[in-house]
Amino acid sequence: MPLSNVPFRMDRSPVLRYGLAVVPVLGALGIGLLAQHYNYRKAQFTPFIFAVAITGWYGGSGPAALSVALSIPTFAFFFGSPIYSVYAFVSELPSFIAFACSASMAAWFSAVRRRVEADLREARDRLQAEVEERTRQASLLNLTHDSIFVRDANDIISYWNRGAQEFYGWTTEEAIGERSHELLHTVLPAPVEEINRELLATGRWEGELRQTKADGREVVVSSRWSLTRDAGGRRLATLVTNNDITERKRREDQIRGLNEELAKRSAELEATNKELEAFAYSVSHDLRAPLRHMSGYAELLQKKAYSVLDDKSQRYLAMILESAKRMGNLIDDLLAFSRIGRADTQKTLINLDQLLREVQNEMRQETEGRIVDWKIGALPVCYGDRSMLKLVLANLLSNALKFTRNRPRAEIEIGCARENKEEVAVFVRDNGAGFDMKYVHKLFGVFQRLHQSEAFEGTGIGLATVQRIIHRHGGSVRAEGAVDEGATFYFSVPNVDPR
Amino acid sequence: MNTLGRILMVEDDPKDVELTMTALEEYNLANEVIVTHDGEEALDYLYCRGKFHDRSTDNPSVMLLDLKLPKVDGLEILKIVKSDDKLKLIPVVVLTSSREEKDMVTSYKLGVNAYVVKPVDFHEFVDAIKELGVFWAVINAPPPGSVRR
Repeated sequence: MPLSNVPFRMDRSPVLRYGLAVVPVLGALGIGLLAQHYNYRKAQFTPFIFAVAITGWYGGSGPAALSVALSIPTFAFFFGSPIYSVYAFVSELPSFIAFACSASMAAWFSAVRRRVEADLREARDRLQAEVEERTRQASLLNLTHDSIFVRDANDIISYWNRGAQEFYGWTTEEAIGERSHELLHTVLPAPVEEINRELLATGRWEGELRQTKADGREVVVSSRWSLTRDAGGRRLATLVTNNDITERKRREDQIRGLNEELAKRSAELEATNKELEAFAYSVSHDLRAPLRHMSGYAELLQKKAYSVLDDKSQRYLAMILESAKRMGNLIDDLLAFSRIGRADTQKTLINLDQLLREVQNEMRQETEGRIVDWKIGALPVCYGDRSMLKLVLANLLSNALKFTRNRPRAEIEIGCARENKEEVAVFVRDNGAGFDMKYVHKLFGVFQRLHQSEAFEGTGIGLATVQRIIHRHGGSVRAEGAVDEGATFYFSVPNVDPR
Repeated sequence: MNTLGRILMVEDDPKDVELTMTALEEYNLANEVIVTHDGEEALDYLYCRGKFHDRSTDNPSVMLLDLKLPKVDGLEILKIVKSDDKLKLIPVVVLTSSREEKDMVTSYKLGVNAYVVKPVDFHEFVDAIKELGVFWAVINAPPPGSVRR
């Protein structure tokens, strides 16, 4: 019978309990009188002992004492000689003492029983409360998305929350009783002895585990273990909390892979750059030397044998010299072009107005004897590498001057096309030979020329240099033009403070 | 003209040597030119070693130094010369094909006295050599201990 079904006597009111003490005594008196009526006088006090025991059983020690107190005068009055008097003969005394002892014994037994029952009840209540608390906690653990389970000292799963159920795919019934490492195919990041040593020493362990779900998919979890011990400090159970980090791990791997790839690429790029540098150096030194010799000896020959050479031969020599010179210029331009790609840009605040005036001054020689109508608008201030931007302006201006050479009056306009928070744009417009927009895509390419050498000399590197410099600044270049109607070149650089 | 200083030329390319000599001859500067064809020979000369062991111990009044040289390259020679107490007084002119900024910067850091890029055009080349010869061998007062003719 479950203890919870037995009514607890303290629940009853004292009136009821003490009233209960009277009824058994009256009952015992009735039985005693009935026995006397049939002349059975051997055990007249036995019903009273029962009455006390019943009272003690159901009413507690107080009512039991009361029933003892009531029983003694009642017994003395009805059954002790002289009969119908509360006084008793001395000869009856042993009977009274025996009765009092028996009644007290009954009351004491009752009290002991009651104490035992109270203890049991208390233990039951505690147990019940604990069960409730545990159930509540367990249902709380079910609320979390983390997989939480408990495994005992033998690695047998004894608790399995809903998170674990959802994540791994085994129900609580399936999981409990299994060996956790076997069920989950756990791959530990370190030798198990090492992990156990740490767990036993600190009571905790944290790490990443590879496991396999019920559907066979492999997952990576971040696992935290906490140890519970018994009073002797022995390992009792381990609470395991696992977080799924498979996706994070995958991304990390991906990022690591990409980084490695990037490092490899930049190493390759660096090597290529080094090679290019060595190549440029070699071009600079080794290619120019034979060229110098060619032109040197041709010149010496010209000097020595000029008088004996006919016109044709003299022209041949002149052509050799001219070609050597042209090749020299090509090499120099190409080297300058490649240097732009390799040199570090040092960005400062640049007054383009001032820079333009400097460039114009340096070109005075080229404009000598020509009518050049300069229209120069206000130019913005921008951030950039001074010497590089100067090269841009010099190239554009020199182009404008070159291609307007055949005009009686050269008109060259320089101004600001745009100036806002993002960028500043500058244009250089001329009324020169222009170009066919059909070939605009070739304009900024290396060695690309849209005019024949006889008409306009040049190496075809100037605009490529311009584009390269502007691109290194993070800006853009473009050109507009029409044959014989002049050309306009635009360049823009970001309007940002590099600091 | 004043007295002419001795010029030490360090140049491995015989054609360059010939052209340079031609240019110097044109201005009568070629009489006192010592030509060494690699870095080691140049150092032998400077330290009076090997085939130069019995030369007079005076320093040349100028050294024309190519950078790309067999055995010991120009920058190494420059480093040795400029860190030697006795030799560092010799004016050194780097005469090279290299327009590389790196070479230029390194040379100046090592204490070169002049850096001249050999022009491709022969006229310019002759002019450059002439001016160099005239300046360093004639106009410039060389440090004490240099050969004067």
